Amino acid sequence: MTALIIDDEIQIRRLLRMALESKGYTVRDAENGQVGLQEAVFLKPDVILLDLGLPDMDGVEVLKRLREWSSVPVLILSVRDQEAVKLAAFDAGADDYVSKPFSTAELIARLTAIQRRQGAHDAANLQLGPLVLDPVHHEASLNGQPLKLTPTEYAMLAQLVRHAGKVVTLKQLLRAVWGPQAEEQSHYLRVYANHLRKKLEGSTLEIKNEPGIGYRLEEM
Amino acid sequence: MPDSESSSAHPSPTPVSLAEVGQYSCGLTLVFVLASTCWVLLPYTGDLFVALVFLMAIVLAGTWWNRGPVLLMAVVSALVWDYFFIPPQFTLHIDKPQDMVMFSLFFIVALSMGHLITRLRAREATLAQHHQEREHLLELKHRAELLAESERLYRTLLDSVAHELKTPIAIIRTALDGLGQGNPYAREIETANRRLQRIVESFLEMTRVESEALEPQPDWCEIGDVLHTATTPIKHELAAHKLRITGTEEMPLLRLDSRLLAQVLGNVLHNATRYAPAGSEIEIQTSLADGTLELRVRDHGPGLPLGAEDQLFEKFYRAPDSPAGGTGLGLAIARGLMRAMKGDIEAHTHPEGGAEFVLHLPVKTRSAA
Repeated sequence: MTALIIDDEIQIRRLLRMALESKGYTVRDAENGQVGLQEAVFLKPDVILLDLGLPDMDGVEVLKRLREWSSVPVLILSVRDQEAVKLAAFDAGADDYVSKPFSTAELIARLTAIQRRQGAHDAANLQLGPLVLDPVHHEASLNGQPLKLTPTEYAMLAQLVRHAGKVVTLKQLLRAVWGPQAEEQSHYLRVYANHLRKKLEGSTLEIKNEPGIGYRLEEM
Repeated sequence: MPDSESSSAHPSPTPVSLAEVGQYSCGLTLVFVLASTCWVLLPYTGDLFVALVFLMAIVLAGTWWNRGPVLLMAVVSALVWDYFFIPPQFTLHIDKPQDMVMFSLFFIVALSMGHLITRLRAREATLAQHHQEREHLLELKHRAELLAESERLYRTLLDSVAHELKTPIAIIRTALDGLGQGNPYAREIETANRRLQRIVESFLEMTRVESEALEPQPDWCEIGDVLHTATTPIKHELAAHKLRITGTEEMPLLRLDSRLLAQVLGNVLHNATRYAPAGSEIEIQTSLADGTLELRVRDHGPGLPLGAEDQLFEKFYRAPDSPAGGTGLGLAIARGLMRAMKGDIEAHTHPEGGAEFVLHLPVKTRSAA
């Protein structure tokens, strides 16, 4: 597997290279957006780690140009914790983000999550740890016990399980569960997220709230 | 037209100003002088020439003077012309019909001249005023642009300072991860790095709060989400306490900036974990009345130092005997954030002991059903 790191900080590049190589990745890096885009063309990496604060161009701009021809999973590395910037990155096609400083374990978990292809799950049961979803009968079980879910709750949970470990933006969730016309109706989500959180209480699964961005289902 | 005219043509608050009195007397003097001169020239010129001289004087006067003096000049010169120059002289009576017509025409022309010219002047004055207003607006716009520009610069600077401060912390963190957990020295560096990160984040947040570069982004949210976001980052600190949350069941959806409120709540809870003894209970009571969300956070610690109920929200305030490792910014940030959201936070010692923090926030609500 090949990873491309686009970051202007040489120490970050070196450290990420070591961390990723120890996990079996082949790593290439670029210190600015121009070089990064060229590398992306030649290398065709399996995953890209992109810093938002690059010296020559905005990281969001790099992402936009990349998305014109590629759907490679992109993980945003950012020290900016303003929601507006993150949302702009998601709108431009980012798959997930980590805020610096991040732990290596967190980084690897995110990388793994965004590289998982969802297509493979569709026919079989969806499973995450103790939670099993049956897409044919729209039934769920937790620790072997049937879990009672309303159809909306099921749809939302299925969406989260399909993207387990990865943030699912409010827009994506609303579109998947209620359809495209519901994109602005974020208040629906709040209610169901809370219902689901209560139903998963006591298990190893947690629905994390990423304020202003969306939800992330993680196994502890 | 001379520049000074536009200002003297401004509507003045008093009906007759000193300048106007001067214009009245000048007007009368001018009519007298012209009449005398024409009287001498009358045998050579005839009475029609006199009328033209008067008309010219009125037109000229109209370009400099106000409406009143010009109209007075028009009336007086008409009468003077009639009395002294139109035969029969020294009487207002007019014999010939053509002289009667001439007099009427003169009178009408003189009056409308005065009237027209003053109207023209009034219009000029309005134009000048509009021009001035436009200049003023342009200047305001310019100033607003400058302000926006300096705000943008400030944010860019803040972003780049944040980047510079957080990057080395991130590098240390990643390097420590690579080093592994085995080495006790590495663990010390990690603890110190975490503390450094907390301090840097507090300072940046405080700067953001103080610069008012902070705009709350309200959205619909569930109080459970807010509590969850608030408690997640301080899970380790909270683990030593029993957290009891009441009142969330009945809560409708609230429209607020959940990230900011969660941060406030996190800071207050973190503060409670530092002062309340391990194993004691921390209670969060949520309620809603008259469009105001109220959150009460009560601990069972020693309570607040007497008289410090307001002081403790000041920057860098540290209570006597505070445990080491705090910046004295957490509660100042909490108050700054609450006020940025048009709410507030207060603290007091609970009558039955322990500190109690009360957060108020005006919110829109929506049934959760």
